[in-house]
Amino acid sequence: MTDTSHDLRRVLAPKTVVVVGSKRADAYMWLRNYSTFTAGPVYSVQIDPNEIPGIEAMGVKNYTSLMDVPGDVDYVMCAVPRPVAPRVIADCAKKGVGGVALFTSGFAETGEEEGIRLQEQVLQIAREGHLTLIGPNCMGLYNRKLGIRQSTDQGHGEAGDVGFISQSGTHAINFGLVGEVHGVRVSTSISIGNAIVLDVPDYLDYLTDDADTRVIAMYIEGVKDGPRFVRSLRRAASMKPVVVWKGGVTDAGARATASHTGSLATSSAVFRAIVRQCGAIAADSLEDTIDVVKALLHAKPATGRGMGLMAMTGGQSVVITDAFVNAGLDVPRLSAASYEQLASFFNIIGGSYQNPLDMGGTIGFGGSAETLRKLFEILDADPNVDAIAREMASGFLARMWQSNPASLDGLLDTLAAHKQRSAKPFVAILQPQHVEDVVAMARKRIQERELAVFASFERGARALRRAVDYHRFRAGLD
Amino acid sequence: MPPSAIIDDARKQGRVLLTEIEAKQLLEDAGVPVSPARLARTRDDAMKMAEQLGFPIVLKIVSPQITHKSDVGGVALNLVSSEDVGAAFDRIVAAAKRHEPDAVIDGVAVQRMEKQGIEVIIGMISDPQFGPVLMFGLGGVLVEVLKDVAFRVVPLNERDARQMVHEIKGYPMLDGYRGQDLADVAGLQQLLLKVSDFVERHPDVAELDLNPVFAYKDGAIAVDARIVLTADASEASP
Repeated sequence: MTDTSHDLRRVLAPKTVVVVGSKRADAYMWLRNYSTFTAGPVYSVQIDPNEIPGIEAMGVKNYTSLMDVPGDVDYVMCAVPRPVAPRVIADCAKKGVGGVALFTSGFAETGEEEGIRLQEQVLQIAREGHLTLIGPNCMGLYNRKLGIRQSTDQGHGEAGDVGFISQSGTHAINFGLVGEVHGVRVSTSISIGNAIVLDVPDYLDYLTDDADTRVIAMYIEGVKDGPRFVRSLRRAASMKPVVVWKGGVTDAGARATASHTGSLATSSAVFRAIVRQCGAIAADSLEDTIDVVKALLHAKPATGRGMGLMAMTGGQSVVITDAFVNAGLDVPRLSAASYEQLASFFNIIGGSYQNPLDMGGTIGFGGSAETLRKLFEILDADPNVDAIAREMASGFLARMWQSNPASLDGLLDTLAAHKQRSAKPFVAILQPQHVEDVVAMARKRIQERELAVFASFERGARALRRAVDYHRFRAGLD
Repeated sequence: MPPSAIIDDARKQGRVLLTEIEAKQLLEDAGVPVSPARLARTRDDAMKMAEQLGFPIVLKIVSPQITHKSDVGGVALNLVSSEDVGAAFDRIVAAAKRHEPDAVIDGVAVQRMEKQGIEVIIGMISDPQFGPVLMFGLGGVLVEVLKDVAFRVVPLNERDARQMVHEIKGYPMLDGYRGQDLADVAGLQQLLLKVSDFVERHPDVAELDLNPVFAYKDGAIAVDARIVLTADASEASP
């Protein structure tokens, strides 16, 4: 049984940090990860005299015992060799620290006897000492605002708004890194490792109540206490969007079963159903998770499925329609009022406005801001349109954006002004095409304006569809 | 027999698989619409029960050793009179004895031959992580080949039942595709809720198949039912 009385705020938003076992061999990784910690002191605990000078050279005060560290300690990162781990964990309990993340690995995940025995020992000590323990075999905490990181590549400073829970240290780090490139910033991310004391529901409950966290995402491979997971997930999803990326979807073997139902109920099929039943959102990969989070964060909420689509050429008009229809969204005819307005100025030589608006010839590839604004206004006012997606024609326009960045800024300002004015979700599709470098620059500028931008029609459509599904669930539709 | 007695009986005999008659009795008592089946030990029993249930009638051999009844000639369909029923009783008992001389034959199940509806399957398994999970799908080939099924963990609420029925790809088949009769979608949803309730009340039930269920314009009925009990008796059982 998991002890649910842990006060996670103290350990996940700490004011004092201690690294136990920092060493030259890993280039003082944890002290460097925490070098950006701003809320209070970072201390080191290391008994090896060969290691201490290197630690002190970083300007970090070292102690030879956790018990000697002055004052309260909120967060301990423990990176000692595994035979020493039980002793450090006992010290953490004795000291009454806020919590400890155990980076040390070689426990039950090895499947070998010694590892299992040590894990049991650590668990006993933690339980008896009512110790909040993250891990073992984990990368601990990433708190962007406080500058506590899992990797020195991760950003720090301004608070992010996405909480992340990960059974894998790699995916925890990558969600922080790749998310940031896509305008998705972490509030609090926890690499939970073997999760012997605190488990997914503990962190989920914390992030559900965390005011900085607007959206929660997680990477999980398995669940220990199914009913408890379901309760936490239901509660979380009733308060904010939760995206669940489940690793290991292929079943190793068929379930031993006597019934027909049993042979069909693969664990992944059941898990996906439970995610939906709880009102959470299933994702398939890191990119997919980030896409959905992006749509939830940066596009406005909507419960309708009618798309107003904008593309610059005929070919793109066709395939943007395919992508959104395939994702389960609708591309309806516009209202009579919209058609009447469009007929008065839309250039139908090499274009059309049935929906999608094939508008290259109307706004021109130089991009008339005035005309574009007018098109946005028509779609925004159209009762058949619930959300708008726009193809950016990067393949044709990137060179111009490169030589004349003001042209890009002008275009993006028009998009941003539309987003601000409109209550309908807006997504931009910016394909890398043959101009990946320019597109990377353009994407950064789009994201600075907090617009939801996707690398393909399919990704944008699938992400928006699931955001709409979530809002429909919350609204009691479907 | 009260529900607990059916389960106790099976436990005493060391069985986890209930007979179709037992399974249907349990479900019937819980208000789940099933095509009732009665155990006839003699030819006369069978003829009397057939009169009570109404024709046409189906007979099936009942033996703990025989699971594939039609393979041993143990099924007779579309019997329209009590004379037919009597003759078929003798025929399938003889055929079963010929194919499986060592099988213990308890008798013959007598049930109404329900009029064909749209075939659906409703099932339940106990997931090791999440406990009882219900399944819904279209019956026959669609469930076998396409695995076009939906799952929800028990207990279901009305939204869950509605989503299960609507999220299978074959949903248009229930919705009057190409002039097919419409199925009673609301009735199927109610049936799912009843099965969820049944499963919650019977922690001893490990797996359940209602296959097929015939869905009609008005209502639905489980034509066959299969229940597997947990290996050990549940402490929570009544």
